Amino acid sequence: MAGRARELTRLWSKYAGMNLLTLIRSRRSAAIEIGTDVVLNVAVVSTSLLLAQRFNGIGQWDKYQIFFMLGYAMTVNGALNIFFGYNLRMISRRIGRGQLDHMLLQPQPFWRTFITEGFMPFSEPSVLVIAGAFMGWSAARLPAGVTALWVIALVANLIASGGIVMAFQVIWGAIAFWAPMSAEEISSSTNRMVLQLGTLPLNVVATGLQATLVTVVPVGLTAWLPARELAGPGGPGLGALATPLAAPVFLILAVLTFRRGLAHYAEIGSQRYLSFGHRR
Amino acid sequence: MPRSDRSDTSASDTVVELAEVTKTYRRRRRSEHIGQALARFVRPTFETVTALDGVSLRIGRGEVVAYAGPNGAGKSTTIKILSGLLAPDQGRVRVLGLHPLRQRIELVSRISVVFGQRTELWWDHPVAASFDWKRVVWGIERSDYDRMVSFVKDLLGLDDFFHSMARELSLGQRMRADLGLALINEPELMLLDEPTLGLDVLAKRRVLQSIVDMNRERGMTVLVTSHDMPDLETLAPRVVVINHGALAFDGAFSQFRTKLGDPRRLILVTADEQPPALTGATLVRSDGGRHQYAFDANDVPIAGLIDQAGALATLLDVETQRASIDDVVADVYDRWLGERVTQAAPPSGRIRPR
Amino acid sequence: MTSVAWPVAGSIRRLGPQARAIGKTFSLSAIAALGDSKLRLLDSALRIVRVVVLLALWRSILGHGETANGFGLGTLLTYTLVGELFAEQLSAGSDFGNWIWEGSIVSKMVYPFTVVGQIIADVAGQWTFGFVSVSIPILVLAPLLGVDPLPADARALFAFIPAIALSVIVGLAIDFILALAMAVYDLAPWLVANLRAAIAAVLAGTVIPLAILPWGLGTIFQWLPFASMGSAPLLIYTGSGHVARLLLVQTGWAAVMTALAAGMWRASRERLVSHGG
Repeated sequence: MAGRARELTRLWSKYAGMNLLTLIRSRRSAAIEIGTDVVLNVAVVSTSLLLAQRFNGIGQWDKYQIFFMLGYAMTVNGALNIFFGYNLRMISRRIGRGQLDHMLLQPQPFWRTFITEGFMPFSEPSVLVIAGAFMGWSAARLPAGVTALWVIALVANLIASGGIVMAFQVIWGAIAFWAPMSAEEISSSTNRMVLQLGTLPLNVVATGLQATLVTVVPVGLTAWLPARELAGPGGPGLGALATPLAAPVFLILAVLTFRRGLAHYAEIGSQRYLSFGHRR
Repeated sequence: MPRSDRSDTSASDTVVELAEVTKTYRRRRRSEHIGQALARFVRPTFETVTALDGVSLRIGRGEVVAYAGPNGAGKSTTIKILSGLLAPDQGRVRVLGLHPLRQRIELVSRISVVFGQRTELWWDHPVAASFDWKRVVWGIERSDYDRMVSFVKDLLGLDDFFHSMARELSLGQRMRADLGLALINEPELMLLDEPTLGLDVLAKRRVLQSIVDMNRERGMTVLVTSHDMPDLETLAPRVVVINHGALAFDGAFSQFRTKLGDPRRLILVTADEQPPALTGATLVRSDGGRHQYAFDANDVPIAGLIDQAGALATLLDVETQRASIDDVVADVYDRWLGERVTQAAPPSGRIRPR
Repeated sequence: MTSVAWPVAGSIRRLGPQARAIGKTFSLSAIAALGDSKLRLLDSALRIVRVVVLLALWRSILGHGETANGFGLGTLLTYTLVGELFAEQLSAGSDFGNWIWEGSIVSKMVYPFTVVGQIIADVAGQWTFGFVSVSIPILVLAPLLGVDPLPADARALFAFIPAIALSVIVGLAIDFILALAMAVYDLAPWLVANLRAAIAAVLAGTVIPLAILPWGLGTIFQWLPFASMGSAPLLIYTGSGHVARLLLVQTGWAAVMTALAAGMWRASRERLVSHGG
């Protein structure tokens, strides 16, 4: 266990160093990259933010509950962007473009490459700062208030939501093993679903659709359901366990699906190769 | 795994072993007509392509082997199977005694693979940064790393651009950098897929010489695919030729030439413009009084042709040329293609597996 | 008369081969959009789910009979539905940036028809799949979703046609300008594409009509080119805006952006040839 942690730390340090050097080398590029990220992440939550401000809430949620949910969503997305850059979050691109070989030719388990190669802590921190501040500001205005139990529940749900988003990306992204050209951009579509629908209060949709949005397309677990439990008047109840309990299920599904895809890839290989986006 | 830390697990001298390896692909059929494309979207049709058909091959430690064949012969498929990227449908594959798929991590730490049309360099970083990245990911000891970086810099002349951004390199520089990157983990086996593609003469020579030097100094086993037959001939004593998934030849280059005959050119300069008709030689080109003939020196003695020519015309000059290996191989590929066309697919258009 | 007739006749004669070239490029692009598997349809399914959620959102915000800045629930639902029906046209983008990045722009420039023609043919081909797999199903599902997909009136329908055409022109001109800027300032194409999508999401008004935005933002945004690209056709279609003013603003932006794109093209043409691979 200690050995694994040491390996991971070593690799994360390496990639963090490379990320920092990229930014230092060109201040113009760094400014553009960081600025673009801020704009992107704010734009993602803009629909709900503007609607909540205009109508003083959406459905049964008041304005601050909506803002808290948006801050939560931004925090999850910001953290994932830090750990899964270089198209690891958009894994279908790597698969569809035949770039998986670059990962398979490294002498380490695939999972280790997957969780380390995209580490970009210096390109994304501004978003986390904004998200954290926004979430904190709106949390202070929630009916239940902030307690130690609430903070523990928040952290557990944030980690679980992050895991579920990545599991969703991987499960759907694995489709590219069977349809490399058609599904090359499917991770962009699923990511767009998370960013656009994950920031909406989904209690407004019909039950059947709600069920879909916490299972097959689990965008409901990326911000809405956790925020509903954390931002509710009574504080975190048993419902706050739903997302942390769901996360391992999705992660196991993601592992199984991806392994199936890798086995298929070993059978058929990749007839395509595009260097677009590879290590750049 | 650094060389110094490796226990010699493969006591055998066999580094690569392929035994009756078969690999087929199912390829979706496509159309450039909208109607047909829509029909195939709803109901896709497939064709089966045999990439490898019962291939058996052994490569010993320290060998440099050229792996040649026409486009689509199965060269890249072989490289991918050996490097653990692809599973064969049938047959046995062992590299350094290891199963490429099941023992992937151990295998790739002991070999290196270079695909000519792909780079392992980090695009927005200097070449040095990519090297250091490999040091960390491959777990190479600092002392070994420093020693090897110094070695490859010298071998491949990387000093001039070692601190330049990868995206600023020319193709030749990029190729040399990729080769250097592939070497720093001191691989026991190097798999090179078209490493000289797109390089100019000087860059090509440099790359090939580096491979020869690496083999000589470090006893590294090399399997290299290329279309560049003259280069392969200077690089590798042994050539394996693959055609439509099956081995067509495995032996020394000199034997390869002999097996394909001894094609030559005879150039005659005569006093008049009419080319003499020679038995046993085919007129290829005639320009004024200069006439070029093709013949096989195994079948027709040169002296006999010159005697014939002398009897029929006033000779001003005589020259004989050995056909380049490129021409020899091109003729062979042409012949194979012709044979394949005459064994043509049935009217349905499906490609029959060989 | 003769001095005019010959060039015109020449242009008409050249139209034939140009039209054939555009038609062939369009069909190849449409075929490529089919991809290599029916799994491509999953992507379309995700878009349909998204629009169903957005419709439910409006229903939760506005009760029956309520209005927001003149928009009733029915109008908002139609606005959202038609926004998704024409989603690709209301934020028109092309592979021009990728052509520059990869260096394939050089090949395109030596084809015997215009780069603009190639872009239009390529984009139109790509749209066919989305139209068939998303737009038509949404239109068919509209009654089941309780949404009236019809325009406000016949005048709105007739005005919508030039409005959508102008929207595409503005969108492609913006795309063209950003792609050229990418080459000139050496930016990554994905960065430019993401930035454009992010800005358009807020400024185009295809999800939330600009008039509904808080803090008077809509009053400012309506004059920007993104509004001409995104919300103007939807306002015309739903009868929620002044048709003549909207078309005039769109025409103005189409002219300005096209002129800017043409100027940047002339200025950076040589640089483009050396950019990329």
